[in-house]
Amino acid sequence: MPRDGLLARPFGRRAMLGAGAALAGSPLIGEAAAQALRFAGREVVATAFGGPSQDMLQRMVFDRVQRETGARGTQTPLLSAQAFARMRAEAQAPQIDLFMFSGGQQVQAKADGLTQPLPTQPNFANVPANLKDPEGHWIAWGLVTEGILYRPDKVANPPRSYRDFFRPEFAGHIAFPHITNGYGTDFLVMLARAHGGSEQNIGPGFEAMKRISARANIFRTAAEVQTLFASGDIWIMPYDGASAMRSTAMGIPVAYSVPEEGAPFVLLVGCAARRSRNADIAAAILNGHLEPEVQASIAREVGWAPVNTATQLPPDVAPFMAPTDRLADLNRDVINASRNAWTERFNREIATR
Amino acid sequence: MSLGSRAGGVPRSLIAAGLLAPAALLFAVLFVWPQLGLFVQSVGQPPPFGLAQYQRFLGDSYYLGVLGNSLLLGLCVTLVTLVLGFPLAFLLARAETRWAGLLLLLTTFPLWVSAVVRSFAWMVLFFRNGVASRMLQATGLVPHDFQLLGTFTGVVIALAQVLLPIMIVTLYAVIRGIDRDLEHAAMNLGASPAMAMLLVTLRLARGGVLAGSLLVFSLSVSAFATPSLVGGARAHFMAVTIYEQTLELLDWPFAAAIAAILLAISLSVALTYGKLLGDGRGEAR
Repeated sequence: MPRDGLLARPFGRRAMLGAGAALAGSPLIGEAAAQALRFAGREVVATAFGGPSQDMLQRMVFDRVQRETGARGTQTPLLSAQAFARMRAEAQAPQIDLFMFSGGQQVQAKADGLTQPLPTQPNFANVPANLKDPEGHWIAWGLVTEGILYRPDKVANPPRSYRDFFRPEFAGHIAFPHITNGYGTDFLVMLARAHGGSEQNIGPGFEAMKRISARANIFRTAAEVQTLFASGDIWIMPYDGASAMRSTAMGIPVAYSVPEEGAPFVLLVGCAARRSRNADIAAAILNGHLEPEVQASIAREVGWAPVNTATQLPPDVAPFMAPTDRLADLNRDVINASRNAWTERFNREIATR
Repeated sequence: MSLGSRAGGVPRSLIAAGLLAPAALLFAVLFVWPQLGLFVQSVGQPPPFGLAQYQRFLGDSYYLGVLGNSLLLGLCVTLVTLVLGFPLAFLLARAETRWAGLLLLLTTFPLWVSAVVRSFAWMVLFFRNGVASRMLQATGLVPHDFQLLGTFTGVVIALAQVLLPIMIVTLYAVIRGIDRDLEHAAMNLGASPAMAMLLVTLRLARGGVLAGSLLVFSLSVSAFATPSLVGGARAHFMAVTIYEQTLELLDWPFAAAIAAILLAISLSVALTYGKLLGDGRGEAR
């Protein structure tokens, strides 16, 4: 999945070590030690999105589960599409127990009978119903929340809606991602929704986009977000909150606004392979991902928004994430089926000189 | 010809074949075979044989425009590198200083830096408040919010800089091989230096001009990094379209057809150009 690249984000190793050290001293460990180690001697293998998030989760979740239950957990980095291919190939004799997906593969995996229900865990109840499978086959543990990014030092009146892209003061100061970038597709759908259209009726989205495209900067990669904002020329663009947080950390003031139409999002989910004998450990590990302090650390260090509604985000992180009750659920089936047609239309009508 | 048709009992043609074999084998395995594979993929729809992908490309003004853009880009970049490169190559080839070697080395310096890095540098200059765009705005010929980034002109400038060393090095080798006595003879016979340059040097350098132009043209029409970075989303060029169809839309048969069309057109342009320039060769000797 192209988005995996966006998910592998750098973050401060020192901060991560600090977070891990803080956890080691938490009272829960003592509680667990009092019980017998219920998974003693067992091993579980999980896929990971790679990069620094993997080290952090190893320390904060896998090592902790090992201390509490005796199960040794290993992470192996695999992009979602490759992980799904592996899940399918090893359906009869899975080498990997816990699969992490960021491209919506869990839906197909469940439909193809490649998953199994996860035994329920204490933190699962705090995840909103639309972010987990009703039959317990998969559950989200993180979100990439999209919305409107803007320069608060240039924009006096913060944008609140996708319709604000048409405010005259923004003319010549707008950038938006190309349609082959996932956020570009979501922008098109949200423009359509803001103008009476939908995934099935994308016309109004293209009409709206055409009105701003002539003077807008269309970019392809996440790497360009900071460059564009740093140029001083670009004041507003649709992207994800984590990018705004990163820009701010780099000294470029960029704020994030949750649009009133809702925030499109990318789900980070976990599910257990159908024939895995370690679904119980996998569930415990997912429960570990959902601990409020782990959720807050993921948000701070990697920029993925929490899905556990009990999470308290620090005040310097919260403004860059959409809460779970302000998400916009997009119909990914229709979007995926329309991708080629929309790209052709985008090239002809939007990305013109 | 000092060599006979036989050297040490081995037929000359066999020696030639032996010398050619490694390159030919490499060419066959790494170029001809994969190209055939691509071609097969491009004509597989509807199975077992069909030209639907080609009809889709050739019957669509948008894709024909993409092809036109790429060919125009190749033409412009070739012209720019030729005009800028010839005098420099001439100077380098004729410079009678011990620095000449160093100067040639400096000329090729840009080739040591990745095209991606060079293109990023151009992007910085081409932003609306980048140096190059600012200079243009100051002339008053373009609107105040004009930027070179994302324009055809910007891509030509950046790509010409990327490919200029290739043109210079090719021309340098040829100009260096031209016997200066021929120019002197022309001037002895009454030609002005300019006339001697035009009638003798330029004509003798024709092979270099041909080789350099072909190299630059073929690299331009198939360039990906610079057009996609400097041209941005509004740059509709062949290589960028192939990339999009292959990696983003996963329409491999169509991508294969576009690749085949690009190859066929650049080959025919190269052959025509070679013929045009090559025709005068005998006369020049």
